[in-house]
Amino acid sequence: MNRKHKWLALAVLAVSLAGAAPAWSHHSFAMFDTRQEVTLTGTVREFQWTNPHGWLQMEVTRGASTVEYSIELGSPNSMSRRGWRRTTFKPGDKVTAVINPMRDGSPGGALVYALDAKGTRWAWR
Amino acid sequence: MRLMALATAAAAAMLLAQPASAQAAPEQLPDWTGVWEMVGGTLFDRSTAEPPNGRSGEPGVRERPPYTAEWEARYLANIERVRQDRFPDPVTTCGTPAGFPRLLNIVDGYEFVVTPRQTWILTENGPNVLRIYTDGRGHMAEEDIWPTYTGDSVGHWEGDTLVFTTIGLNGEDGAIIDRTGAVISDQAHATTRLRKRDDGMMEAVITLEDPVAFTRPWTVTKTYRKLEGDVRIMDYACAENNRNPVDPATGRTLTLGPDGKPIDADFQEESGD
Repeated sequence: MNRKHKWLALAVLAVSLAGAAPAWSHHSFAMFDTRQEVTLTGTVREFQWTNPHGWLQMEVTRGASTVEYSIELGSPNSMSRRGWRRTTFKPGDKVTAVINPMRDGSPGGALVYALDAKGTRWAWR
Repeated sequence: MRLMALATAAAAAMLLAQPASAQAAPEQLPDWTGVWEMVGGTLFDRSTAEPPNGRSGEPGVRERPPYTAEWEARYLANIERVRQDRFPDPVTTCGTPAGFPRLLNIVDGYEFVVTPRQTWILTENGPNVLRIYTDGRGHMAEEDIWPTYTGDSVGHWEGDTLVFTTIGLNGEDGAIIDRTGAVISDQAHATTRLRKRDDGMMEAVITLEDPVAFTRPWTVTKTYRKLEGDVRIMDYACAENNRNPVDPATGRTLTLGPDGKPIDADFQEESGD
């Protein structure tokens, strides 16, 4: 187990599969482990308000290094109907993100929910 | 095309059984205005899902289309490909329509636009358009039609229910119904009953017949709830920022970083990058 996987394993929380079906239409979500949740704390580098999916690019500090995570969101269309706006996040914002991590341990995942600096909870599925 | 001729003949027979003029007077048309959203997830036939709370695309999840033994084997092979994340989905390429009946089984907004001569089902995701002619015309003749994703739909009104038949679907190797791996043949055709129920939900009861893949008709009900407030359909520009392309070599769906390069660690190992 390399360092990255060890870190992920420590952060992983077993979760139940109960809940609303995720609104994946554009592609398979097989790359994400929907049975696991990982909590990341860091800084927004970029908030992509784009189709077919929005993305939260997030910098996470780990020891002396910084890792950029690619966190996949819904379409702007579906997110806007759940309260999101194109200004919900901006570069430099502090953010806590709970994600279904990528199965292969690479720095990415599907957002479960995010907490902004004010503690507001943002979910889209 | 031989079997398509049978499908066409069957649909033509259904048309003969209905009134000569399918067109409804404007005051008789139902009010289906608004933006609607499918409920129940994108697993096509929730009533036969195994496990019951299984989601489309999750490893091992399936439904029970009335397949012949040959097509059941094909479905099982697709389920294994889904498990390995090697079941390529054409819509992931942002190029082709969802097609029929899958366009009745997708996320984001729906509009059901009723006019005296046509009804249009407009899906935000895709986007997709299903045109249903209700002006009394029949299906295209066999020598005039060619297989397409969405096919050819004609219908008539039975009270507040739009009944339409769809023929002319493509998918020589099996058109995808959903990401469990369910597919239908290019001989599939359908009768759909679309109405607004008393509880305010839109309901599509889709009966698929497939003389190649099925042993009997497969009837599936999809429902849609009306979204409240000032809801507008927006662009769904799938090619704008598609960071999940399909790797043509393996059928695997990749995840790209903001620089456009795959972040999938094992993919990079596989390709020797």
